[in-house]
Amino acid sequence: MPDDVGDDVLSNVQLRLKRFAFVDIDQSMEERSFGWVCFDDLLDAEWTTAGPEKGPYLAFSLRLDTRRIPPAVFKKHWMIALRQRMAQLAGEGKKFLSKDQKTELRDQVRQRLLMRSLPIPAVFDVVWSPRDNRVYLATTNTKIRTLFEELFAQTFETELEALTPVILGVELLGEAAEGRLTGFEGSLFVPTREVAADVAVPAAENPLGSGESAS
Amino acid sequence: MSLETLKAKDLALGQEFLTWIWFRSERSNGQWQTQDGVPFGLTFEGRVMVQSGEGDYLETAVCSGPGAELHEAKSGLLRGKKVHQAKLRMEEDGHGWHVTIKAEDFSTAGFKTPKVEFRLEEGQDPDGPFLEKMYLLERALLFFDQMFLQFLKLRFSPQWADELRAIRRWVDATAGSLP
Repeated sequence: MPDDVGDDVLSNVQLRLKRFAFVDIDQSMEERSFGWVCFDDLLDAEWTTAGPEKGPYLAFSLRLDTRRIPPAVFKKHWMIALRQRMAQLAGEGKKFLSKDQKTELRDQVRQRLLMRSLPIPAVFDVVWSPRDNRVYLATTNTKIRTLFEELFAQTFETELEALTPVILGVELLGEAAEGRLTGFEGSLFVPTREVAADVAVPAAENPLGSGESAS
Repeated sequence: MSLETLKAKDLALGQEFLTWIWFRSERSNGQWQTQDGVPFGLTFEGRVMVQSGEGDYLETAVCSGPGAELHEAKSGLLRGKKVHQAKLRMEEDGHGWHVTIKAEDFSTAGFKTPKVEFRLEEGQDPDGPFLEKMYLLERALLFFDQMFLQFLKLRFSPQWADELRAIRRWVDATAGSLP
C-alpha cells in the first residue's frame, strides 16, 4: 500500500520507470543489475512493446540479473591458481604467500570466473492499482521485497507499507480502531476443562499471553 | 510501537483470524456472504500448519490430507495451538480459487485463480486476459477482506464472548472425535 501519490507522479509513470530501467550486463563484468522492464517483455526496458497502463492498473516488472559462481567451481579454480603461484614462487626460491597476496589472487580468480559466467535473469511482476491504492508484487522472497520497496520508493517518491493483519485492520475499520488493533491480545481457544486439567503447562506454551481467561 | 511489538500483534491477530475462519467455515458448511449479501464459498483444503509458543518454546505441526478433516491439526488446537498457515479454497458460481495464506503477514503463496485463456483471439484486446486475471485475483482478495472485516467486527464486539464459547466447544468436539 503506497502513501498517497499525486497526479504528477501518476501522469509520469513511464518516464519514471525509464529513469530506473534495467541495464543489461551481458557484455560487462557487473555481478548484479536490477531495474524496471516492460510487463509484457523482459527484454524491453524502453517500453516500446507496450506502456505500463493496463485498464485501471499500472503493470511493470522488476528484473534482476545476477552473475553467480558456484562455490565448488570457485574452490577448484582457486586451488589451480594457488598451486600455479606456489610453483612459480618455488622457482624463485620463495615458500610463502602473504595474506594480501592471497587476497589479490582470490580476486583475480573471481574476476576471471565472473567474465566467463552469464548473468541469470529473474523477473517479478508488479501491478499497481491506484484506484484502491494497492500494489501487488509476485513474490514473497524477503530480499526481493526489500529491493523492490527501495526501488519503488526511489522511482515514485513514496513509501510502501505492507498490508499485514494490523495494517489491513486499520484500513478496513478506520483509524479509530488503531488502538484496539495494536493493543490486540489473543483469546484462548482451549476448552475450559483442558485448561483446568492443564495447570502445569508452562506460560511459554501459551502464546496468548494475557488474553481472555477460559472461565 | 516498536517493529517487534507490531510483528507480535500481526501474528496474534492473523493466527486468531485463520483459526476462526476454520471454525466458521465448518459451522456454516463453507458458505459465506459479503456485506452486500454476495454468497461465496470457503473451505480449508488439504494442508494446515498450527503453531504455539515462541522462541525456544515454539512448536509447529504441519498436517496434510485429502479433505478438510485434518484431525492432527485439530488436536493441536486442543493444546493451545492456532492456525499459522492454511491452504484455502474459495468458490463463487462454480469457479474455484486456491491460495495459501500466512498468519503473520497475510502473504499469499500458490495463488491459483480460475483458468484464464491467454491465447488471444482475433480482434481481442491484448490486455484482455491480464484484466480478467486481475479481476479474478481481486475477487478472491475481496472475499478475504470481507471475512477479515466480519472477524474484526465480531472480535471487538460484546458478541465475541458467545463466539469464543462456541469455538471452544468446537475445538473440544472435533478433537474429542479423533480416532
